[in-house]
Amino acid sequence: MTARVTGQRFRQRKLSTKQNLVILREHEVEKLIDDDPARHVPKVETGVEKGEEGEHHLQAVISAAQAAAQSGGKIAQLYIPTPEAVASKLQYEDLYPKNFTQPATYIRYSSTVEDTIGCPYCMNSEDLAWLKAYNQRRDKRERCSEDEFEEVMNFFEETSQTKQPFAQVDNAPVLSFEDLQAEFDETISESSRRFAKDIYSHWKEQRLLKENHPLLPQLKFETNQETDDSDPYVCFRRREVRQVRKTRGRDAQVTEKIKKLRKELEDGRLLMHLVKRREVIIRDQLAHDKAIFEGRRALTESKRKLGIKGDDEELLVNQKKPAPKPKPRVDVAAVQRGIPGMGQKPPAVRPDGRLVDSDLVYLEDQLNKKSEAIDRFIEENLLKHKKWNVGWIDKTWRPITPPLEQAAAKSDFRPVFTSSQLPTPPASTSSAEGAGGPMEVDQPDKQLDLASRGTRIRYATPPEDVPFQEQTRYRRRIGRGGRIMVDRRGVKRPKLDAIDERVADRYRFDCDSSEDEQVYPVDYTDNLHIRYRIMIERQGDKTHAQQQQAAAAAAAAAMQNRRAIENHNRSSSGHLLPPTAPTG
Amino acid sequence: MAPRENSHEPSGTPVPLETGFATLATLRPGVKAFVEKDGETRKAEILTKQMRRGKMKFYVHYEDFNKRLDEWIDSERIDLTREVEWPAPEKPEKKKASSSSKKDAPSKADPKNLKRSRSKLDREISATPSESTSVNIPGKASRPSKASGKENKEVLVTSEVTDGTTPKPEDEEIDLVDVQDAAAAAKAAPEEVFSREEEIEKLRTGGSMTQNQTEISRVRNLDKIQMGKYEVEPWYFSPYPIDFATDAEMVYICEFCLSYFGEETSFNRHRMKCTLLHPPGNEIYRDDFVSFFEIDGRRQRTWCRNLCLLSKLFLDHKTLYYDVDPFLFYCMCIRDEHGCHLVGYFSKEKESAEGYNVACILTLPQYQRKGFGKLLIDFSYILSKREGKLGSPEKPLSDLGLLGYRAYWQETIVDLLLDGKVEANIEEIGFASAMTTNDVLHTLQNLNMLRYNKNQHVIVLTDAVVEQRERQKAKEKIKGKRSLDPEKLIWKPPVFSAASRTWNW
Ligand SMILES: [Zn+2]
Repeated sequence: MTARVTGQRFRQRKLSTKQNLVILREHEVEKLIDDDPARHVPKVETGVEKGEEGEHHLQAVISAAQAAAQSGGKIAQLYIPTPEAVASKLQYEDLYPKNFTQPATYIRYSSTVEDTIGCPYCMNSEDLAWLKAYNQRRDKRERCSEDEFEEVMNFFEETSQTKQPFAQVDNAPVLSFEDLQAEFDETISESSRRFAKDIYSHWKEQRLLKENHPLLPQLKFETNQETDDSDPYVCFRRREVRQVRKTRGRDAQVTEKIKKLRKELEDGRLLMHLVKRREVIIRDQLAHDKAIFEGRRALTESKRKLGIKGDDEELLVNQKKPAPKPKPRVDVAAVQRGIPGMGQKPPAVRPDGRLVDSDLVYLEDQLNKKSEAIDRFIEENLLKHKKWNVGWIDKTWRPITPPLEQAAAKSDFRPVFTSSQLPTPPASTSSAEGAGGPMEVDQPDKQLDLASRGTRIRYATPPEDVPFQEQTRYRRRIGRGGRIMVDRRGVKRPKLDAIDERVADRYRFDCDSSEDEQVYPVDYTDNLHIRYRIMIERQGDKTHAQQQQAAAAAAAAAMQNRRAIENHNRSSSGHLLPPTAPTG
Repeated sequence: MAPRENSHEPSGTPVPLETGFATLATLRPGVKAFVEKDGETRKAEILTKQMRRGKMKFYVHYEDFNKRLDEWIDSERIDLTREVEWPAPEKPEKKKASSSSKKDAPSKADPKNLKRSRSKLDREISATPSESTSVNIPGKASRPSKASGKENKEVLVTSEVTDGTTPKPEDEEIDLVDVQDAAAAAKAAPEEVFSREEEIEKLRTGGSMTQNQTEISRVRNLDKIQMGKYEVEPWYFSPYPIDFATDAEMVYICEFCLSYFGEETSFNRHRMKCTLLHPPGNEIYRDDFVSFFEIDGRRQRTWCRNLCLLSKLFLDHKTLYYDVDPFLFYCMCIRDEHGCHLVGYFSKEKESAEGYNVACILTLPQYQRKGFGKLLIDFSYILSKREGKLGSPEKPLSDLGLLGYRAYWQETIVDLLLDGKVEANIEEIGFASAMTTNDVLHTLQNLNMLRYNKNQHVIVLTDAVVEQRERQKAKEKIKGKRSLDPEKLIWKPPVFSAASRTWNW
């Protein structure tokens, strides 16, 4: 009401709070005809509860203050009477010792009340009386201190609170001493434990008197019963819980979030579980390996004792092969043993297997097929990528298909599949270890081929930010007749003549690279160079998807070839197993 | 006496506004009688009654006086030769309607709910009468309507009707049906030891099976507190453990950690263990006289709860309904070799949508009328200035709060105007003092300093105001001026993440 009135008053006269107003003294203002100042004082909102605004003492002070402000004169020293505080009878000095020294800088502090009050249980007069009586009965050295007493009481209280959180509601019986004793932990010291049993009787008595309610006075917190709302003793309710419940959408949102979290936790747990299982299996496997090894050792020992001559190595060396495939190993061993005799019956298979012959899969065929497949794959994907990029400029760092390198610029440094130009190496030269031998030698070459072919393919993580072409690369080939050739590329020969600086200067800006392209001086003995070579070795691990796929495919091909050779070996060693034709 | 039976339909219900002569036996809560107070006769409402040492005692509220003066009186002080006003019987629903008309304070108690709980209560009572003291009855108490950080009660659970019409004193009658002397049970400090049977019988004959919680909170529940070097009489109800209301003659409060104890032995034991020597937070201001500490309600939940329980004893409009997390507490201390003694504090919302810079503000009674209140208020505005914001205290203000603020505002504005300036505008005064435009305007209006002169608005430094300020200054010269130095505030406005504000557990 009053606000409205004053509002109108000022609206009529258009008082702006932004407008500068002249400050005057009273005598500078023209006297109003109607000179009752009180009439012009608008009633202003006090901000006090309406029901209390009219209270006698408040009104008395307000009107006195107003009178003073209107007409001057001394303001009566009026105040609202309040109950007096009086000096306490307690000995302050005893209760509050002089422990405080003010630090030079402002205090910074974060410990909580819980951190600073020690044992939260504080004994009352009944406790004290009991303890006195108790100690009187005991030997001087065997007496229970107040601290020990409180420690035990506190332990009982806290344990009850954890074990019977709803004791107040469900009338649970007081916990037995055995129940409590079972919970003894580091929070209760050895010295206090001595008295626990005796103190228990006192504690139980006190609890029974309080209907098994906590002994220390407690605040009432919300129990989510409908009586909470109107109970003035219930205090410090959580705020947001209520607010959150207001919308169902938020509820659902939170539920989803929690579900997701839960699932992620479960996944993590499962993962850990599987890892654990794997590790256990590995451990078992190692144990088995060891047992086998020990067995074999024992066997060699026995052999020696019995004077049986034989190659111990074959037993122990084979041990290096992974244990989980004992069967193939036995086969391999058989093959090995068969090897010496291979010369004796080289075409052993042929008689019974003309079919075998036609079925025989040649390593080099497979290899070629594989690399063709890989090449095709890469080629296709490059095309695809180009198609995607039509009309776009690839600004990504090290794009797969750099715009400058057209398909036409395809390197003429073609791969040479040396193995195809060689006669099939005699199976006899391949041993179990050597089954992949030639291939393993060739493998890096192949990778190198891919790398050199792949002028248009870039790795996601090139070794350094150096133009690829400037890298020096090598390739080993095995030529006709077993000649080994090393192709090299990008090798910079040391300059024979020092170029005149002035001449060099003429060509300084002759390159067509953009200005902001960084130019690195290259030192071939430096890390960069070394790292590049490391990279070649690790090419199988390259992270680039295509490269990886290619590498994987190559590896797969290698595997298949290896199997083919094994089959070949097997058949050649007279085993009747039909060689399994590798598929794909 | 008309005993309140559980039927809620006591025989001989008096008609509304009925007056008449009463006897000691018919005096009951809700009745307004004339009571002798300091040699005067004042109209007082009986809030509860209780037998103490075989004598009937009444807890009364003097009409038009602050609740802090409510007290227990002997029956002799009630003038039975004059007619009393009988309480108006009102249906709970009707009551609801009137109270819900209060601005900004929707009464949340659903009548249906109320009925249900009442009938539930009746069942409980008939089943286990002896436990009625611990049964909480949902009464008319409406809970604060906002879940946001409001420390002041928005709803006074008593009975003001402010629906625009002139409130008649009769309107302040509270719901008769709910009025019981049950509050006595909260306060009940039975000097005699009652047997269980006697207790039940007493409750039965006393007709106080139902106790309205609203009524409980109208009755001071603690007699005295001991704190530091002082014994202090509480002014209002505070939800300290309910045991204190019945068992403790004195509640002992540790001056530093503000923990509370129902008896001296426990308190002494606590003092031997407690190592706190100042409010548990960072000191952000220090001068020769006082220090201010900033305490985060979320980080120091126990201490802040203890502080709130304590201050509730002296702040009628404070509510402890919600937890302390969204508040910062700025605590003013004086120092000596014993430690930093809490003198007063104000709480402040970490983020106030309404732009309040103070939620609750209190100088402890043992330190009142020594100029500390002004320092507290000043500090709240120094913080606002540092934040670059305008601030105002949360409403409603208490009577003492209003007077404190008015004095501060007047002094601040008059000092700004006496600066020798020729012109001033209201917003500028606000910016210079961190006061809201509204507070500046109201202060000027209230002091009759805003006038219309020669067709323009002017600010008049009235002789009265100037004279008052000069007298004040002269007094300060003699007594020494206590003021704060903003330079000594080492503080940056704290920033809180959304998570720390919303996830409060
Ligand atoms: Zn303490």
